[in-house]
Formats: sequence, structure tokens, C-alpha cells
Amino acid sequence: MQEEYKKSILDKLADKIVYGLGSFISLFKKGWKEKNKSKMEEWRLMLYALNRSPPALIGLFLVILFILVGIFGPRLAHWRYNFFPMLYTKSYDKIILAPPGSKFVLDYYNNTVITFPLGSDHYGRDLLSLILSGARTSFVISIIVISLGVPLGILLGLIAGYYGGKVDELIMRITDMFLAFPALILAIALSAVLPERIQNFISTHEAVQKFVLWLFALDVREAGNLGRLLAVILAMIIVWWPAYARITRGSTLTEKEKLYIEAARAIGLPARTIMFKHILPNIIGPILVYITLDFGGVILMEAGLSFLGLGATPPIADWGRIVYDGAQYFPKAWWLVFYPGLVVMLVALGWNLLGDGLRDILDPKTRRSIEFKVKKSKKEGEANA
Amino acid sequence: MEKVLEVKHLKKYFPVKGLFFTKGWVKAVDDISFEIYKGETFGLVGESGCGKTTTGRTILRLIEPTAGEILFEGKNVMELKGDELKWFRRKAQIMFQDPYSSLNPRQTVFEIIMEPVRFHGIEVDDPEEFVVNLLKSVGLNEMHLYRYPHEFSGGQRQRIALARIMALKPEFIVLDEPTSALDVSVQANILNTLKDLQEKHGFTYLFISHDLGVVKYMSHRMGVMYLGKLVEVGPADKIFENPLHPYTQMLLSAIPVPDPEMAKELKAKRKIVRGEPPSPINPPAGCRFHPRCPFAKDVCRKEEPPMVEVEKDHHVACWLYAKS
Repeated sequence: MQEEYKKSILDKLADKIVYGLGSFISLFKKGWKEKNKSKMEEWRLMLYALNRSPPALIGLFLVILFILVGIFGPRLAHWRYNFFPMLYTKSYDKIILAPPGSKFVLDYYNNTVITFPLGSDHYGRDLLSLILSGARTSFVISIIVISLGVPLGILLGLIAGYYGGKVDELIMRITDMFLAFPALILAIALSAVLPERIQNFISTHEAVQKFVLWLFALDVREAGNLGRLLAVILAMIIVWWPAYARITRGSTLTEKEKLYIEAARAIGLPARTIMFKHILPNIIGPILVYITLDFGGVILMEAGLSFLGLGATPPIADWGRIVYDGAQYFPKAWWLVFYPGLVVMLVALGWNLLGDGLRDILDPKTRRSIEFKVKKSKKEGEANA
Repeated sequence: MEKVLEVKHLKKYFPVKGLFFTKGWVKAVDDISFEIYKGETFGLVGESGCGKTTTGRTILRLIEPTAGEILFEGKNVMELKGDELKWFRRKAQIMFQDPYSSLNPRQTVFEIIMEPVRFHGIEVDDPEEFVVNLLKSVGLNEMHLYRYPHEFSGGQRQRIALARIMALKPEFIVLDEPTSALDVSVQANILNTLKDLQEKHGFTYLFISHDLGVVKYMSHRMGVMYLGKLVEVGPADKIFENPLHPYTQMLLSAIPVPDPEMAKELKAKRKIVRGEPPSPINPPAGCRFHPRCPFAKDVCRKEEPPMVEVEKDHHVACWLYAKS
């Protein structure tokens, strides 16, 4: 029994992370560490709970890997996404759709040898480099969609749930209108309509254009394609918020009946404070789980839209687009479909595992049992010492 | 004596919604009037569902009344706006029945107590010292400062709620069954704390409860509610000594007596409470108590009894004492 609850390396790491963070904050806010002992204990137990859930750990590992590759992918890639080796070799017909592991000499490029660990695509580009660069596209898109769509949904849900009555009716009927369309169909329709206007906007605002190019790690040459890329993002934001408005409204309705909200009203606190300081922190748990699961969802949907030919266009590296283009050469050039598909699957799986794990950790009922076990092992350890 | 609160003809009807239109009204509070004087405890008793809690919340404007006037220190509460409303929110506070949901689980005790203080702009030299002093005055200590509500017992949480109220230095506090979720020893503890604080700071309480023993211990004056109506108002000792309304008599005879000898004696005299209170959606015509009343006369079924003063300050709404 006792062995099972001994502190593992991960637990010790968790201790270090929490205390380190506590000391770090204390550098800026004096005495923070002493005042927030309960909070830090809570964090520590959350991390302990995480350590006891292997699927969540696997998910966390995959997610961290994805985030790192998302940030550094374009630098890690050996070849730029817009480098076409076929232009520099005599055997240009063979370099197209080369199988994994093949090597070519670039005769007109200082005789450099190019290897394709995962094969090459129909332009003769290195698939591994494309996948690494494509991580940035998926990463940036998922971050933008979640960080714009989710707060919008939460805000509307809070307002609808807290005020009730006519405000609630109005907001929820609008939400219903959006939910009435299947999300994918609506996104397809929007990403077909929007690109031109966005392109016009982008080409007249140079700063915006530079910023977006920097975000996606793209060359200036791709400026003409940004409209399509941003249209997909906008379309996904538009289809993403209604679900959050719904969840938030539901939780708000139950939470606002609690007495501490009435106490806050008796104190005279304005609605804004009650909504954001009292209701939101108490309903954010389930929403956070939903967000984690949705990161995977956004990446899947983006890949899906690209697979349908919307969004990023070649030569921009995008996982869904690679599969879309590779599908014509399937099953002969199986690697074009297999590897990007595998990566999409792993990333979506990672977010989902993490989300499931978070649900267990944030749910007080399951967490308490883990806390109890941890505390018990602590006591036993002290008794033995 | 100075009136702190005056309630005049207060009504609160809740709509019963059908599929398309309102089917009827729950008359939770139906035309009640009373006043509370400075420094006293006014007990409000009645069965579950008689409208005690609704009265308390309507007075604090947590629920909008259907009709009637509430005067707090001479000002109409329903017409307060801006700074005056803020003043009212500071002067009149409420303590809830359920200590498990009346504190925000995500705030530490320090934050819970300081939030109203900061909002109302009360100047405090050292917030920590201020909160510790408050905690000490309700029987907690500085160890509890940075803990979360879930680390406390029910009685302790009720004390935290009390400290939060006291931080605002209110004049009038609605105590909405503050002890009914606690066990007896903790109840006594909290009640004594409340009494001490009243003596020290001159608080005025509206004490809502269904526990007659507790009301007897706490109140100077009291009112008995039945189905949204006040049936008897008067000094607590007079009502307990000499209950006038048949409903009050029934309620009082339902208090369990700890001494078995005395219980036997009383049993002979006891007036059993017959039946259950009718639905407040369609209350009985005339006196609302007549279907359960052993003394019901014809006039009781037809006309509502007026409030009459039988002895000094002791009012009752019953046809036994009024002239039709």
C-alpha cells in the first residue's frame, strides 16, 4: 500500500515547480508565498493528481511537444517550405514523390545532398520540413480561434445567464441561429465568401500584413494568399463561440442562484464585478476542460477545411493541405497522406487526453480522493520516520 | 423610540407561468406592515413557505416587491439610486441560512472580508490588522486569514459571514435563519455572539426563524406570519405569555417540552395543529387560517380580519378580538 503513494520523481518535480513559482511571485509581491499557502497546496495537489493519471501525462507531453514545434518548427525545418529542390537538379522527374529515405544531389546548388526522411511531395519538397513548418500554421490558427472565439462566447453566456429575461432571450436566439447551421457547412460557406474582402484589407494595411506574415513564419511572396488563410480563421471563430455561450449560460444560471452571489448583491457590488469576480472563477473549470478538448477540435476542423481546398494554398505548409494534395497520389505515394495524418491525429489525441485528465483533476470529487491518498501516504511516512 | 425600518402594505406576488401566459400568482407576501425600532431584535416566525424569507429579501431590495413601501431611516428604499443606494447597501446587511453556499469558494477569508470594505471605500490603515480584529471579534483568529471557505466548519463559516457584514459597520441586519443549519451547541454560540455584538454596537436585527425557542431567546418584539400575512405582532414576552391568535397558540403548544411531567400536564391543554397550510396560489377567502381554526365563525370565511390592538403594543388580526 505504502509504496504506491511514495513521492515519485514527478511529485518532487511538482513540489519544485509550485514552490519555485511561489518564490518567483514573491519576488514581485512581498509575502505572496506566506499568504497563499492554501492556494499553493491546491496547485501541488492538482499536479500530484496529474502525475497519477498516465493518459493525462501522455497528453501533456504531446501537447508540450506540439507547442514547442509550433513555435520553433519553421526554424527546425531543414528546408524552407518554399524551397523547390527540383529546380536545382538534373533528375527533377525522380525527385517528385520520392519515397522515404531517398537521397538526391542538387547539381545546381553546390552539389548539396538532400535526403527525404519521410519522402517528398508532388513538388519535390521535403515532407519532414513541411510538417515541421505546418505545425506553426496549425498552432497559430488554433490559438487565434480559441483566444478570440471562446472569450466572446463566455462574455455573451455570462450576460445572458446573469441578466436573464429579454436579454437572455435575445442572445440565446442569436446563438441558436448560429447553432442551427452545421458548423462545418457554415465555415465552408464563410471561408468561400470572406477571402476577397480580407485580402483587400490586408493589402492596404502593411503593418497588419507584416504581423500576420511574421505570425505564420511566411515569406512576403505569400502576402496574396493571406486572405484565404484569415478567412478560415474568421469563419472558425464565428462558428466556435455559440457553444461556449451555451455552456457558460447554463453554468451561470446555476451559479447565480447560490447565496454568495446574493450576498455580493446585498453588498451592492455592480453586475460587472459579480459576473467576472464571483461567477466566472467558479464556472471556469468545466469551460477550461472544454477549451482543451477544443484545441484538438480546431486543428481537426482546420485540417478538414484545408482538405476541402479552403484556407491555406500551396506553397504554404499546412497539414490538411498536404493530405488534400497527396490524396491524388494515394496509395502509390502513401507517405504524403500517412505522415501528416498521423501528426494531426497525435496532436488531437494529445489535447483530448489532456482535457480528459484535466476534467478529473478539476472535478473536486475525483481530486479529493487523490488528495486523501497523498495525505495518507504523507502521514504514514512521518509515522515511520 | 426611533424607527429604523418601516414596512407598509408590502406585497410580493410571484407569477406561476403556464405555457403561454401567467396562470396565477403565488402570494408569498400579501399586504404586511410592521416597524422595527433602533437597537431591537424583531423576530419573524412562521411555518415553512409562509413568506418570512421573501419578506427579509424584499426589505433589502434583493427582490423587487409587487407593491408597498419600505422606509429605511425615513427613506423609501425602492426609490434609492446611486450614492444613496450604496449608503443603503452599507447600512443594511443580510446573513443567510446556509453557511455552505454564502461564501465564494474561490476567495480567501481576507478577500471575502476586504471586498465590501474596498467597494464602499472604507478607509483602513492596515487591512490585515483590520481583518484580524474583525475575525477576533467573532471568535476566529489570524490563523484563518488566508484560508478558503472549504477549510472551515459550518459554524466557522457563519462567523466569517458575520465578520464580512460587520466590516461594513451596518445598522440593520436581516438574520435569515442564521442558525438553522447548525447543531445546537454551535447555534447557542452564534446566537450569543450576535447578542454580544448587538449590545456592543447597537445593531438592529430582523431575526427570521421557524425555531420558536431561538426567537424567544433573541427577540424583543416579534411577528407571527401565516400564508403571507402577519397575524400577530407584539412584544415577544407578551406573545409567549399570552398568545392571542389561535395560530400562535397552536404554534406555541407545538414546542416540545423537555420535562416529561410538565409535558403530560401540557398535553391535556395542547391545541394540536390540524392540517397543513393551504397553497398560497389560491389562499382561502376571509381569514386565511379559518380552514384550520377551531374557533372559525361565519365572518371568518367571508371577511379578512383587521389588525387590532388588544393590549399595549400587542396587535392581532383575528375576528375573536375585532368587532365586525
